[in-house]
Amino acid sequence: MDPILERIQTMTRRHFFGRGAVGLGTAALASLLPDRAARATGADQGRPAVSPGGLPGLPHFAPKAKRAIYLFMSGGPSQLDMFDYKPTMNEWFDKDLPESIRKGQRLTTMTSGQTRFPIAPSRYEFAQHGNSGAWVSELLPHTAKMVDDLAIVKSINTEAINHDPAITYICTGHQLPGRASMGSWLGYGLGSMNENLPSFVVMTPSWTGRQDAQALYNRLWGSGFLPSKHQGVRLRTDGDAVLFLSDPPGVSSTHRRRMLDSLATLNQKHFDEFADPETQARIAQYEMAFRMQTSVPDLMNLADEPKHILDMYGPDVHKPGTFAYCALMARRLAERDVRFVQLFHRGWDQHGNVAGDLPKQCKDIDQPSWALVQDLKQRGLLDDTLVIWGGEFGRTIYCQGGLTRDNYGRDHHPRCFTVWMAGGGIKPGVVHGETDEFSYNVVQDPVHIHEMNATILQCLGIDHKRLTYKFQGLDMRLTGVEDHGPVPALLA
Amino acid sequence: MRPPKRATTRSLVLAACWALFAAGPLPAADDANPGRRIDFGKQIRPILSDACFACHGPDAATRKADLRLDLRDEALADRGGYSAIVPGDVEASELFYRITSEDEFDRMPPESHEALTAEQIGLIRAWIAQGAEWEEHWAFVPPTKPEPPALADDPWVRNPIDHFILDRLNQEGLEPSLEATPEALVRRVYLDLTGLPPTPAEVDAYLADERDDRYEQLVDRLLQSPRYGEHMARFWLDAARYGDTHGLHLDNYREMWPYRDWVVDAFNRNLPYDQFVIEQLAGDLLPYPTRDQLIATGFNRAHVTTSEGGSIEEEIYVRNVVERVDATGTVFMGLTVACARCHDHKFDPISAKDYYSLFAFFNSIDGKPLDGNAKAHPPVIQVPSPEQEAERARLDEQIAAISGRISEAVSAIEYDPAGDEDRGEYVRRGDFVWVDDALPPGAKPSAEADWSFEAEPNHPVFLGEKAHVRSAEGQSQHFFTEASQGLLVGEGDTLFAHVFLDPLNPPKEIMLQWNTGEWKHRAYWGENLIDYGADGTAERFAKGPLPTTGEWVRLEVPAAEVGIAPGTTITGMAFTQHGGTVRWDAAGLRTWTPQPGKTYTSLAAWVRDQKILGDKSGLPGPIRAIVEKAPGDRSDDEAQQLRDHFVRFAYAPARSTLSPLLDELASAESARKTLEEAIPTTLVWKELAEPKPAFILNRGEYEERGEQVGRATPEFLPELPDGAPLDRMGLALWLVDRSNPLTSRVAVNRLWQQVFGTGLVKTSEDFGSQGDPPSHEELLDWLAVQFQDDGWDMKTFMKRMVTSATYRQTSRTTPELNTRDPKNVLLARGPRFRLDAETLRDQALSVSDLLVEQIGGPGVKPPQPSGLWEAVGYTSSNTAKFKADSGRDKVHRRSLYTFWKRTAPPPQMTTFDAPSRESCTVRRERTNTPLQALLLLNDPQYVEAARGLAERTLREAGPSADERLTHMFRLATARHPESDERQELLAAFDEVLASYRGEVEEARALIAVGETQPDPAFDPAELAAWTIIANTLLNLDEVIVKG
Repeated sequence: MDPILERIQTMTRRHFFGRGAVGLGTAALASLLPDRAARATGADQGRPAVSPGGLPGLPHFAPKAKRAIYLFMSGGPSQLDMFDYKPTMNEWFDKDLPESIRKGQRLTTMTSGQTRFPIAPSRYEFAQHGNSGAWVSELLPHTAKMVDDLAIVKSINTEAINHDPAITYICTGHQLPGRASMGSWLGYGLGSMNENLPSFVVMTPSWTGRQDAQALYNRLWGSGFLPSKHQGVRLRTDGDAVLFLSDPPGVSSTHRRRMLDSLATLNQKHFDEFADPETQARIAQYEMAFRMQTSVPDLMNLADEPKHILDMYGPDVHKPGTFAYCALMARRLAERDVRFVQLFHRGWDQHGNVAGDLPKQCKDIDQPSWALVQDLKQRGLLDDTLVIWGGEFGRTIYCQGGLTRDNYGRDHHPRCFTVWMAGGGIKPGVVHGETDEFSYNVVQDPVHIHEMNATILQCLGIDHKRLTYKFQGLDMRLTGVEDHGPVPALLA
Repeated sequence: MRPPKRATTRSLVLAACWALFAAGPLPAADDANPGRRIDFGKQIRPILSDACFACHGPDAATRKADLRLDLRDEALADRGGYSAIVPGDVEASELFYRITSEDEFDRMPPESHEALTAEQIGLIRAWIAQGAEWEEHWAFVPPTKPEPPALADDPWVRNPIDHFILDRLNQEGLEPSLEATPEALVRRVYLDLTGLPPTPAEVDAYLADERDDRYEQLVDRLLQSPRYGEHMARFWLDAARYGDTHGLHLDNYREMWPYRDWVVDAFNRNLPYDQFVIEQLAGDLLPYPTRDQLIATGFNRAHVTTSEGGSIEEEIYVRNVVERVDATGTVFMGLTVACARCHDHKFDPISAKDYYSLFAFFNSIDGKPLDGNAKAHPPVIQVPSPEQEAERARLDEQIAAISGRISEAVSAIEYDPAGDEDRGEYVRRGDFVWVDDALPPGAKPSAEADWSFEAEPNHPVFLGEKAHVRSAEGQSQHFFTEASQGLLVGEGDTLFAHVFLDPLNPPKEIMLQWNTGEWKHRAYWGENLIDYGADGTAERFAKGPLPTTGEWVRLEVPAAEVGIAPGTTITGMAFTQHGGTVRWDAAGLRTWTPQPGKTYTSLAAWVRDQKILGDKSGLPGPIRAIVEKAPGDRSDDEAQQLRDHFVRFAYAPARSTLSPLLDELASAESARKTLEEAIPTTLVWKELAEPKPAFILNRGEYEERGEQVGRATPEFLPELPDGAPLDRMGLALWLVDRSNPLTSRVAVNRLWQQVFGTGLVKTSEDFGSQGDPPSHEELLDWLAVQFQDDGWDMKTFMKRMVTSATYRQTSRTTPELNTRDPKNVLLARGPRFRLDAETLRDQALSVSDLLVEQIGGPGVKPPQPSGLWEAVGYTSSNTAKFKADSGRDKVHRRSLYTFWKRTAPPPQMTTFDAPSRESCTVRRERTNTPLQALLLLNDPQYVEAARGLAERTLREAGPSADERLTHMFRLATARHPESDERQELLAAFDEVLASYRGEVEEARALIAVGETQPDPAFDPAELAAWTIIANTLLNLDEVIVKG
């Protein structure tokens, strides 16, 4: 890489909040950054523009979505009980999964020792909805109302069959720790659009299904080999919303302002003597920290939300930390131009007791997910906000543990599962991909998780092959080395 | 397919700026001038590697047109009338035509955004014209020791490093900088060698030292400080990906800190680097390895592991081995061998076969791939402290002594079984009392205080000496579980207990519960108030009204009534009541099934019962075999063994002699067991007797075995040294052999990076052709060979770096220099960069005098914001909930000792670019973010440190504000404040003090933050105001940065 480009990237990368170009040190460099005001006038229509803090040359083409919200269902939601309708399975109740379907493919060691693989048909009613005629089960009555806003992909597949590797794979492109997460890639490539909030925000809402839930890992929103400023910032509902946001007890904002003034004065003097541009950058970071102390509480304060909006998200919206609350928060973040918001909802690992736990999980997320899409839509934000809903894999048609018509368990199933996408860049009212009658193998239009991720990047104006970072001698990217690309059928 | 390329699209604006910056230190357009000799390694190979090797490189599987450009012979070969490259003839070289062709089908590289720049094309043209000389990639040729460039007597130069640096500066037309001020230099070298800043007294001592070599003397002193090893260790722990949890899925606790302490110690005793490598890679294969050498092998165990339900063992086995191979490649060889896991490496000559031949060194561990979620995932060794070793010896001796006494007593008992061999008792039901004056052996009480055994005359007793009693308001109980001698329930057996209800204070209800591994068997008398179990089932069985009060009443419950089937063992009981005073005594089972612990007067009766018990007799195998034999078939020796066993454990007349001895033995053994459990363990390597076979795995997939391979080093590197064994020891010896081109270079480069901020090879993890070329190749080679000549002496190496004039320069820069060499590659000034996370925290604890300088031990948990572990943790993980430690010896230790949960590492570390330790990291990024500002300003530990700094100042400095400010400023920066700095801070102090005078409660709130409490002797308003100033100082750029 040529030294100038690299230098500029290093310097621009350094700025978590993008336009904090105050104190970049070299005037020449400042002039390289696009003028935000000019872009705001619409002068950049259709022309790729560099966001503050992003890489030169990005986005690679005009983005359809400026930001994305990823509703992640951790544990492996059962496609069979929610989206992938398999009516003939009723006749297969408690019969063995034919070997012609399984084809000796590997299973987790939780069920590979079972002597039988009896079919567990879904106990839930399905119906067709909207103009697209998409099948949705009774567990998701609100989602069913908006199928014409969604692209439902029934043929997503992955290779990983256990949680840790699978969720790490879909979130970072690799089954082992050490890589950068999707949100950190977006911040690295596209920079930030809000100078007072992080560009990648994560929330971990509560759940009501199986309480013994699968773990999450900081690496799912970590920056891996990318600079750590790109790591997701977890918005908390206990204690400070952002770590260490509050001034210590006994320190008033007058004190804090006085301190920052002294700091700036002394640091400026130090800069005058040592001429290190980092010193000026640091002055700017402290000022941004001060601004965050206002902008974050403002974000978290729901007092300005009218009742009809709160009602859309359902009664849980009043309980901080619930999925409904976090979904509303996601909309507020999108409104503030936060690039990437990711919610990790746990409790979807139904090895047993589908009937007891799955309805609770669905109730947690159904109305809020619908409300989020509708809320974005009515504000015109859905046009340039991409919303994604899905987990790390699906579940098996065959039963794990005891089987009755009314209750059953399902093991992990990587070969097909369902994800929906909506909003900026996505063709609405689409059902993509088909699975066999057992929802075991994809029979039409398979979409690998790398292809799904490439599609997400595409919506955001990124050629997934060209968003790379050199690490350990390789040009690392989110979508792996295989020849996977975006899925044209999903793109608007 | 072609691998992805970095984004290299440039905007026009950038191109326009080219001229402005083009005078930079790295090869630029000017180098294309054919008059100047082209350097293949620095100028051409990087272009070919980037643009061509993906399809025309080492990877046979993806090679196009059967053309290799990484080998000269191949590139020059006749390809049927033409050659890719014809030395000296640009026009005849097909390669040149291809990279310049206008024809989109001919043009190379094929993707338009990868096209070579005009400068690159110019370089290739000049290189071909000059004869297309090839050389092997620099890093794969063993270094030779170049003569340091001769320089005219330059007073600036202090050691050979400076010759190389100055020579290059001269070539670039740059001047080195003056030496830093003594204060700045002292602070810098303290931070670089100990990770802690100097005190004003230490700075003063240095300033007052008049010896010419005062600086060298200081360096020697710092290298002897135990703080040195702690500081050096943490860089290594990033590389070794050390953590206190397994890192995957459940992410349970892993006990491994003895390895961390070994690393600290290795640096402190200056273990030579070659030995350091050998012990970590193959310490177990040394002859008679010491405990320390075994601990060192933890390097290959520190990787993340899993025990996720559903995991496939073979897949995890492969992942574990792959991790070790990759870490070895990165840490010792500076090679990205991981690429060759799935296919031949595209850029470096590492084949998949090479990869799996390395794999074969690391696959034969004597332990399971899945960690079992256990802290001691075998193989492990115990690491007792000297005190624990002494205690263990003492207990062993005690156990031997008691055992001796027991044997003597058994022999001394007069009992001859011959006399009653035919005295067969008939079998009848009887009461077996299980709970009488004490809990059954092994029983774990709900809590010691729960159990109250009382004697007459103050309490009635039914049997023996005591009864247990309880008075309560509402629902209350005492219970025990896990009795080692359980009740064996037989057909038709009845459970019983005796109860005495106080007539003056009767309960409303009483309940008995029996534990069979779970609490599901209950019977109650009286009102139905106690809410355990489902009503109307065996989990809550109604027995009718309360018994009469004021006398002992026998309660009986047929086992079947409460759902206890014959063959079940009961190991616990609960005595529950609702209100009142209740006394209990003599609880047990009416049965004919022999019970453990029952005593006998005849061997024959005992033998009969043991036969009835069969599998449940609990007898040792040999004794059981004798029991099964007819008396006539037993040898004399067997008869004697049987008799002794019987006398020892079951012969009634011997109980009064033997029971106390057996109790004594049990208690010593239990103490021994408790000690064993307290002895720390650490994960080590233990080799299987027979190596596991290794195979090439197609596309890296564990299921897709290809050709079997043996152990071998990569073909493009030297062979194993003569006589080296074909195992990890041989591999370690090969790494540190002089013929190995990589190990020494990679090691010295990392140490250079540590001190100067950037390695001589910037990509310290990759010395291959995709890595950055060295900025000072000759210097790197000189250092690498000198390091070997010095016997791989790390302290000598550190001293050489920090005593060079290059290091001692001021870090002051200029706008011109910022433009010419913004990253200080040429070192025309001293190093200057933000301190690492650990150093920042340690510095704050040190200047505030809070730091507890205690080396080693288990990880500690200083406070962190709530909910960080809970938000991610698997609910049943033993690290799902964070509980901060208390006590200064836990919360004020160096950050090196902070407990490292890998799926949620401490935010104080990761916010400042510390890696998660989930994979090996040899280079940290350095960022500058508002979250860092918030942390340094508001984290309670930093606020406490600010108050500590204020208190220390008030204690140590003179009474005036001026004296205090000066002292505090010196503690934080090592220098005196200048007058404008003093003015600014004193003005701030006055303002804040005035405000706190008016709001003393606010002042008190601020100074109360933290683990320690302020000295009440200080005026709260004044202390709070100084705390604000200290907090300000600890956030100064100058303090956050090593300059």
